[in-house]
Amino acid sequence: MGGHLDDQDPTRCRIIEAAYACLARDGVGDTTVEGIVREAGVSRATVYRAFPGGRAELVSTAVAHAVVEFFAGLRSDIGDVADVTTLLEVGLVAARRRLDDHEVLQRALEAEAGRIVPELAEIMPVVVDLLAAELAGRLRTERLRPGVEIAEAADLLARLALSLIGTPGDWDMDDPAAVRRLVRGQLLAGVVEA
Amino acid sequence: MPSVSSVTSATASRDLVDRAPTPDPVTAADPATATVDSWATEYLRADDTERHLVEAARTCIARWGLRKTSLDDIAREAGVGRATVYRVFPGGKDRLVEVVVCHEAGRFFHLMHAELAAADTLEDLLVTGVTSTLRLLADDDVLAAVIRHEPELVLPHFAFHQLGRVLDLAVVLCRPHLERFLPASDVRPAAELLARVVLTFGFRPSAWVDPSDPASIRRLVSTYLLPALTTSTTNDSWETT
Repeated sequence: MGGHLDDQDPTRCRIIEAAYACLARDGVGDTTVEGIVREAGVSRATVYRAFPGGRAELVSTAVAHAVVEFFAGLRSDIGDVADVTTLLEVGLVAARRRLDDHEVLQRALEAEAGRIVPELAEIMPVVVDLLAAELAGRLRTERLRPGVEIAEAADLLARLALSLIGTPGDWDMDDPAAVRRLVRGQLLAGVVEA
Repeated sequence: MPSVSSVTSATASRDLVDRAPTPDPVTAADPATATVDSWATEYLRADDTERHLVEAARTCIARWGLRKTSLDDIAREAGVGRATVYRVFPGGKDRLVEVVVCHEAGRFFHLMHAELAAADTLEDLLVTGVTSTLRLLADDDVLAAVIRHEPELVLPHFAFHQLGRVLDLAVVLCRPHLERFLPASDVRPAAELLARVVLTFGFRPSAWVDPSDPASIRRLVSTYLLPALTTSTTNDSWETT
């Protein structure tokens, strides 16, 4: 999985970006190795050497790349946040906005949910772990309620945060008071001392 | 008639949610309530032939997957004639998925209802509900097979916009039980949270949430969930921070 996110090799980078451009333009269903080869301007052999898994590997890697970009962008939206409460409040709102504005994703969900959702499901465990690590770091500086284990709380919060970002449900993320109730009254209620 | 494709499940589930056969104008306006009512009705009303065919369908799906299972396969597995199968699943494959899901959901919630109604405290209610649902998701090999081999048929229903419908169903299912312990305005946020928790650990288990270990679930409930449901979500003190 680490290989997916390794962007040190410029040729690999170029191919991944080409793959993503094809996904964005044609959708998962119509993205082909030939299309990626053409878009990247490298040889077919080069593409297969870098991605022996062919089309499937190219698509997965491009999706993973887009997810990494999404969270990198989110990080810059959020900026430096010291405490877990603010991180969640600001983060959920910013993430929701980013997701709503993500044209490629929205189009994919509309046109080919059956193709894009399984790809996202593949990479979600990595995202949960990264998010949990961020949350755990901040939980360490909080007064935690009795019985709370940082690793477990972080895991639960990361899973719930991702669920909420994808599907706010009854919560109006545009209402700061609602977001406060969600974060303080629900998500952190069992974790952090009031 | 649409051929089986990733559209089939979408059609089936849209059918499930939009179908409102009840004469009651109140519930007819609420698709989630109508869906749950139809599950209960279908399951309880089903005759032995239908139940037998649902079992046969499940066996075929576990063996070949949803796409490759034909109504003829089910007929053969069940040892009945084609006419019987086409009577029970008149809409073909679309109706097949719908009926199987209805039955399984109906059966599960029918069994759960008594258990949940017997819970004396909110904590017991949550422990019972979370444990049973996680167990169901863990033990259902048909669901596991479809998720593993044909994730595109299942996963989209539990993500993004479509997850919203599942949450609506969860609220309808949880309401009669949560209402015993929570103010009415807290029921929806509580049910949604519980559904999210069950789904995330159902689809992607974690060692620390183990439905076969009662202590594990009780810990999850008492430490992380109860405070999240019982801290009033309408508490105005959040406004002044």
